[in-house]
Amino acid sequence: MNTASGQIRHLPLHEKHVQKGAKLGNFGGWEVPLYYTSILEEHEAVRRRAGLFDISHMGEFFISGSGAEGFLERVLPRTISTMPEGKALYMPLLNDRGGILDDIILYRFSPARFLMIVNAANIEKDFRWLKSCGDQLADSIKSPFKLENQSDERGLLALQGPLSAAIVEKAFGIKSSGLGYYHFQPWQSGMIARTGYTGEDGFEVMVDLKELREVWERLFKAGADLGLVSVGFGTRDTLRLEAAMLLYGHDMDEDISPLEAGIRWAIELDKPSFIGKESLLAQQKEGIKRKLIGFEMIDRGIPRQDFLIEKNGALIGHVTSGSFAPTLQKNIGLGYIAVEEANPGNEIDIIIRGKPVKAKVVKIPFYKRPKN
Amino acid sequence: MHFPKELRYTKTHEWAKRNGNRITVGISDYAQKEISDVVFVELPKVGNAVQQAKPAAVVESVKAAFDIYAPVSGKVLAVDTALESNPALVNQDPYGQGWFFEMEMSNPAEWDSLLTAEDYEKLLKQETKH
Repeated sequence: MNTASGQIRHLPLHEKHVQKGAKLGNFGGWEVPLYYTSILEEHEAVRRRAGLFDISHMGEFFISGSGAEGFLERVLPRTISTMPEGKALYMPLLNDRGGILDDIILYRFSPARFLMIVNAANIEKDFRWLKSCGDQLADSIKSPFKLENQSDERGLLALQGPLSAAIVEKAFGIKSSGLGYYHFQPWQSGMIARTGYTGEDGFEVMVDLKELREVWERLFKAGADLGLVSVGFGTRDTLRLEAAMLLYGHDMDEDISPLEAGIRWAIELDKPSFIGKESLLAQQKEGIKRKLIGFEMIDRGIPRQDFLIEKNGALIGHVTSGSFAPTLQKNIGLGYIAVEEANPGNEIDIIIRGKPVKAKVVKIPFYKRPKN
Repeated sequence: MHFPKELRYTKTHEWAKRNGNRITVGISDYAQKEISDVVFVELPKVGNAVQQAKPAAVVESVKAAFDIYAPVSGKVLAVDTALESNPALVNQDPYGQGWFFEMEMSNPAEWDSLLTAEDYEKLLKQETKH
């Protein structure tokens, strides 16, 4: 599926997306479906029924061997030793300065086998980083462990929306009630996890590439009567923004810490050691100067990435993500601003085409799904 | 896609309808399809002067913002305020309720520089053929 780096890549089911009439667009070096019918229609389908996303661009690393747990424990900011089999954990991958190299999900298959799913644009960087950490830690860990990049051999589909549990049960004959949020079970050549990036209930299914088409077709067959639609990357972005889930390279980068990004819950500063811990402790002691906030527009205008944020004419921050929010019917955004301006209710100006447009800081997430 | 014969078009995908020196401006069926769901418009101020081929309004999809260029120079006489509360009209009825603004043409010679429906369709064929 992949060509040499620097060239445009296609998803393994690219032909299928084209046949379905997908409007294609570029996403981090990949030509992917932006939408099939319309972003607004697909957005509503996921919030009300269900949608299927081909997210096979994501990277898959396997970490295995008797030393795997010890290695990950030394590198990652959450406790690995107490992680049960079948559990998934979201967390940032940090550099020595406590900056965010990537945000990942770690899955424990067995005492000595883990899967790490990483962002497509960071596959090479993350793998190099983990390799170099492994080389540095090899002496102190003693037990052997192996790092494998299987990103080119694995495909990943996300089924999201309130009807996704019913569709998964029908398609695969599994009991979804046994699979809690951020849990997974081995399935066929890979696994099925109750995770997602939309703010809805949902599942992510990883299999070998050769099984991917069949899984896609099975899900569609099972979901046809329930209104399942294929969903593109444009809608993935509006869904995750309403749920205030961060997008790497936009809302997070190597110069932003998890304390600033509002994902303090995804790190454990009281862990004995992990990469970046000292820097984060120092930052916590000093106090952060900027933080991620959500805002909604009061006056007319759509905020976009890199727009400046002002208060009474003074620069206080910038926008990292922004869009019309289809479910909320509002224009919303995420951005970093000075901590003293970050309280919900504070009125700020977003500079849109040279003019200040009134907005206010609000609590995130913008959207929470109704509890059933 | 549909391109009414009585309208003139620009390379930047606006349409213009002439009634004496009054010109109504909108975006073509091709443009609204390419932009996809229109969720926001920024209209010019009535009374403002606009210049041929210079940005006069903005249309935004979920993903991005696009400039709308004045097909000819002149003064803005009226704007379609219905688009502010219902921007989807641009998708639903690009040549009717989805108009953007009406203007008074200051230099009628500019009208002749606009494309006929036939020329515009030819241009689109070239543009979409890679």
